[in-house]
Amino acid sequence: MFEKILIANRGEIALRVIRACKELGIRTLAVYSEADVDSLHVQLADESICIGAAPSTESYLKIDRIMSAAEIGDVDAIHPGYGFLAENPDFAEVCESCNIKFIGPSSRAMQAMGDKNSARAFARKAGVPVTPGSDGIVETESDAIRIAKKIGYPVMIKASAGGGGRGMRTAHNEPSLKSAFHSARHEAEKAFGNEQVYIEKLIINPHHIEFQIVADSHGHIVHLGERDCSIQRRNQKVIEECPSPLMTPGLRKKMGNAAVKLAKSVGYENAGTIEFLVDQDRHFYFIEMNTRIQVEHTITEEVYGCDLVKEQIRIAAGQPLSPHIAHATPRLHAIQCRINAEDPEKDFQASPGRIAFYYAPGGRGVRIDSHVYTGYTVPLHYDSLIAKIITVGATRINAIERMRRALGEYYITGIKTTVPFHAAMMRNGEFRDGKYDTSFIERVMSSGKLELTSPAIRLRE
Amino acid sequence: MESKEIKEIKTIIDLMEKNDLSVFEIEKDGFRLKLQKGPAAQPAAAAPPAVTLPPKAVTGSQETTALPKPIESKPLKEIVSPMVGTFYRAGSPDGAPFIDIGQTVNEDTVVCIIEAMKVMNEIKAETSGVIAEVVAENGKPVQFGQVLFRVR
Repeated sequence: MFEKILIANRGEIALRVIRACKELGIRTLAVYSEADVDSLHVQLADESICIGAAPSTESYLKIDRIMSAAEIGDVDAIHPGYGFLAENPDFAEVCESCNIKFIGPSSRAMQAMGDKNSARAFARKAGVPVTPGSDGIVETESDAIRIAKKIGYPVMIKASAGGGGRGMRTAHNEPSLKSAFHSARHEAEKAFGNEQVYIEKLIINPHHIEFQIVADSHGHIVHLGERDCSIQRRNQKVIEECPSPLMTPGLRKKMGNAAVKLAKSVGYENAGTIEFLVDQDRHFYFIEMNTRIQVEHTITEEVYGCDLVKEQIRIAAGQPLSPHIAHATPRLHAIQCRINAEDPEKDFQASPGRIAFYYAPGGRGVRIDSHVYTGYTVPLHYDSLIAKIITVGATRINAIERMRRALGEYYITGIKTTVPFHAAMMRNGEFRDGKYDTSFIERVMSSGKLELTSPAIRLRE
Repeated sequence: MESKEIKEIKTIIDLMEKNDLSVFEIEKDGFRLKLQKGPAAQPAAAAPPAVTLPPKAVTGSQETTALPKPIESKPLKEIVSPMVGTFYRAGSPDGAPFIDIGQTVNEDTVVCIIEAMKVMNEIKAETSGVIAEVVAENGKPVQFGQVLFRVR
């Protein structure tokens, strides 16, 4: 087992990894930017090294400085978290050549699945259904027009090097296709340094359902069921639940087997997620694979009774899949709400700044994964996620009622947060019925029917 | 002047500091040298009006790495680490330090080496003045932003 691990990340996921390490008796080294000097994970780590100025490009994305810190700290392994360098095959390769274990898949597997277009090719080869689309990269506008005509409108133009819902454009007809093609390429070049795009059929109002994969280094791969992440705003996940209200045991078996087959075909190792779109007729299509631990790994943990981060570490250390993971079955229902430092009344405008007062809910079946505290200043340089609140219940409605109760106790002042938004969602009829798809938030927000109320409690600060 | 002679003069300056001497004079083989503690003979380009080192600047401390701060009208400038690595004062294990206390530096003066992943990086002063303190420890790791030297 590793003696010391470097955490190449920040915020709530860095804290999550440090917690797992502490419970496993592994020493931790946190690397941080100048903006994160007072971050909770830095304070809790056994050692910490400042690696640069606040902007991510000056710190959390500086491979050379992170490796230098790893060398100084004499670490055995690096956990990349999610985002930043977590899906950067160059980083994984540098770790491999420095004999420091990268906690995740090999750089080769990461490369194969990280390129969205190449991943589609692997899926096709493995007999996994993919959304009808181009056979590869679409180079020219005339190719785009020809392919879109063949697939049938509406279509989606997607960046091959993209991720996190960025570098995507929809087109409903030929005129809009032309402008969408060029603007997608432009955004892809700017965001990912790679302007290559491919085209997929746009599935109308699909459900976004993803499967958790866990694979050890001895060829043993299992899936831990699905997560429904259809509730999205601007292609960013907002609320996730496990299991999906749409799922049937038959569909779960088919999709789960497809996910395992695909992961096996690229020799995948460690934790990963296979994302599918499911249409109104319960046809499923592979869209992409995330070769890292995800923000919403938490709800799978609660339903399947496991610690995925610890399992990542065990797998990286060469151990076979833990029996409780290999034979995991779902029980209970879990929901996660992502609490962002954003103002839901002002179109979710970012709201960084000092948290004057912070009180998090508790009680049975409530889990909070958060790095913030009273007096903490949310920096403006990074994403706006300040907390994840997860509730577990025997049934779906129990989990929803518990979330509604818990959000009523969640008291954060000094900055604006999306707590009132999530509270309104828990009261929403369509959500409660489990009848929602990826168009849900947009419809609800534009209908103006979402009632944002202030917190139920007022605490003496 | 040959580098050997410059090294010898540096050693003499060190000894003057250590032993609280204000004037040193030597004449040998047609070569004459006089060193006198006082206002800087070569004011650096951006230097404020020179502050005379009080004769008792070294208070008999055994430390050679940092002088106790004399009363200053201006705060000292800091040379900080631009990277993560191990700090070395000299280019080789038995080499002489790049710079010492009392030495004048300009923007391009190499002040130390920071070794990162087996690569020796020469670090430039990026400022000008007289080295007042050596803050980082030779052979020890430094992080981004850590103070290496203080400059008057």
